[in-house]
Amino acid sequence: MSLGIRDILNKPRLLPGTSACPGCPENIALKSISMALGENAVFIVVAGCSSIIQGMGPKSTYNYPVLNIAFAAGPAAAAGMAKAFKMRNKNIKPVVWAGDGGTADIGFASLSGAAERNDNILYICVDNEAYMNTGGHRSGSTPFGAKTASTPGGKRENKKDLPLIMMAHHIPYVATASVGYLHDLMEKVKKARNIEGFTYIQVLTPDPYGWMFDPSKTAEVGKLAVQTCYWPLIEYENGKLTISQESMHCLDRRTRKPIEEFLKIQGRYKGVSPEIIKGLEEYIDKMWERIKSIYEGKVIL
Amino acid sequence: MISKVISGNEAVALGVKLSRVKVIAIYPITPQTYIIEELAAMRDKGELDAEVIRVESEHSAMAAVYGAASAGVRVYTATASQGLLYMHEMIWWVAGSRIPIVMTVGTRAVGAPWNIWNEHTDFMSERDSGWIMAFASTPQEALDLTIQAFKISEDERVFLPMMVGMDGFILSHTKTRVYIPSQEEVDSFLPPRKQPYVLDPEDPVDIGNMFQPIDYMKFRHSMHLAMLNSKEVIKEIGKEYEKKVVPVGSYSSLNESYKLDDAEYALVSMGAWSLDAMQVVDELRNMGVKIGLYRIRYVRPWDEEDIKRKLGDKDGILVLDRSVSFGRGGHLYLELKATLPDVNIKGVVTGLGGVAINKDAISSLTKKFIEGKTDGEWFYPSEVEKVELRNPRYIK
Repeated sequence: MSLGIRDILNKPRLLPGTSACPGCPENIALKSISMALGENAVFIVVAGCSSIIQGMGPKSTYNYPVLNIAFAAGPAAAAGMAKAFKMRNKNIKPVVWAGDGGTADIGFASLSGAAERNDNILYICVDNEAYMNTGGHRSGSTPFGAKTASTPGGKRENKKDLPLIMMAHHIPYVATASVGYLHDLMEKVKKARNIEGFTYIQVLTPDPYGWMFDPSKTAEVGKLAVQTCYWPLIEYENGKLTISQESMHCLDRRTRKPIEEFLKIQGRYKGVSPEIIKGLEEYIDKMWERIKSIYEGKVIL
Repeated sequence: MISKVISGNEAVALGVKLSRVKVIAIYPITPQTYIIEELAAMRDKGELDAEVIRVESEHSAMAAVYGAASAGVRVYTATASQGLLYMHEMIWWVAGSRIPIVMTVGTRAVGAPWNIWNEHTDFMSERDSGWIMAFASTPQEALDLTIQAFKISEDERVFLPMMVGMDGFILSHTKTRVYIPSQEEVDSFLPPRKQPYVLDPEDPVDIGNMFQPIDYMKFRHSMHLAMLNSKEVIKEIGKEYEKKVVPVGSYSSLNESYKLDDAEYALVSMGAWSLDAMQVVDELRNMGVKIGLYRIRYVRPWDEEDIKRKLGDKDGILVLDRSVSFGRGGHLYLELKATLPDVNIKGVVTGLGGVAINKDAISSLTKKFIEGKTDGEWFYPSEVEKVELRNPRYIK
């Protein structure tokens, strides 16, 4: 698929001077996604880092219309907006931009409702695996063993498998992406943007402060997450699951990079016991077994 | 204009349809459910040119109409009781964005204990949110205020959302004769929607983003001024409505006065029981008591000037409240006390959770008040003086 990046680079949708922290993965994702979306889009930003990256009103670093909204309300507001644009005969895509807290926890009912109704919206979950805007509190999307402000000894529960849950809603399109692979991300956004109905993309956005790594390493951590198969890159379209090129090697355990390479570059797993690493590895194995069985058609969603 | 015997819920649904609403979010809760069912049925039959979104909660209902309204169309939803409380967060978000929206509240008690019957505490608990708040006393008024609400909310001197309250079951489910305007009559009154901020890629704006403290406060002040402005707008629009739409009922003032001019005493009430209170006024007048009634139709804006003018010289005022602020008394009583600090005002909290208050009950309360046998604020009926909780125990 051709992205036509030269054209879209001329019209920046994220203006210089955002209030993002150095190395912010959301800034990277926002820039790429908004370029891939093109002009006819409206963002619905739920409470989170992105409400801050925008800067202080009445000015804004987002060069497109934005509705900032309460934590749990994004998908419902987007649903209303989609209907309003339909009534006005406008081809404008409402795009919800929410973190993992807003998606996995407080906004989950609203997300599920909009998916069930197959409202014509694109939902993007920027998954930095904790409530990073409020001091790094654990969320339903924080992985097993990770240290956060509210799980100083490491989280005792597994990460909620949101992409799989969304697939079970039988929506037209589900995908995962990482800020380590921006072309892949932009291609998926471009595809989703043109699909009628509810589309869902979950982007891994490693956070230098919450994950405790050097801000210059954001993209590298995003890559390692994929290479070690901690974070799968997949697409689910019309009931069929495909594995993106960057993740194909994960189908075979032997070709995966050791998980330690992903863990040692960040501070969340510093000093944790071998049992926790083992628990995390088991989760990854099981996750890939699930993906494989759907990919091979043994399990039909 | 035709007339039909219909319930308050049916009247509101017709008002919404006649207002040419484009997006409706629906979520069921007794006693308003019939409104949204009726709208869904109208949509199915092709009588209503609107999109209906079947949301998964009231929080989402308000979010959905907020999103749709931000994208530039006229919207509607309805709720009650727990549903209104569940919406609370979004109710504030809408008002703070100055987005015109209209909603009906079929008033109902709030649990616990579980109770489906009428009272006004749900409605009154939103009085600081920045919404215009009107309350109907008949199904006719519920229809009229719904149509007027769109015009008031979308007036550039206002741009605040508006909710219309209606006594659950007493108005929502009771059928009376209602004059239903024609589409042409409503069209002559209600112009196409206009609003200050619309989400449009051709002219990108951000709604609801972070503001510096001083800018935030300026915005809050603008809401305060808009609420004050709305008093004149409501009167103006009310008069226009009488002229162009339904020439029954009077909308030239925010609140209504009944036999108040020469009255020594006054009753103050809101909602359906105001009609019973009017009969009590007639009855007491026949017995030689100079009494009148002041009916609150608008809780917000609060018509302070009119209340001072009409009630400032009375010897005694009795306020009937169907809601309570615990440890302080009825909401209207508190508002009246704040407006007329030097007048002898008593208040009674009654009819909570659907306790039936008829003309006789209001009559006996009023007589008790006139005879001076009352304190500042009391509960009625008060046969049960105190609810005894179980003996507390320490838990190991």
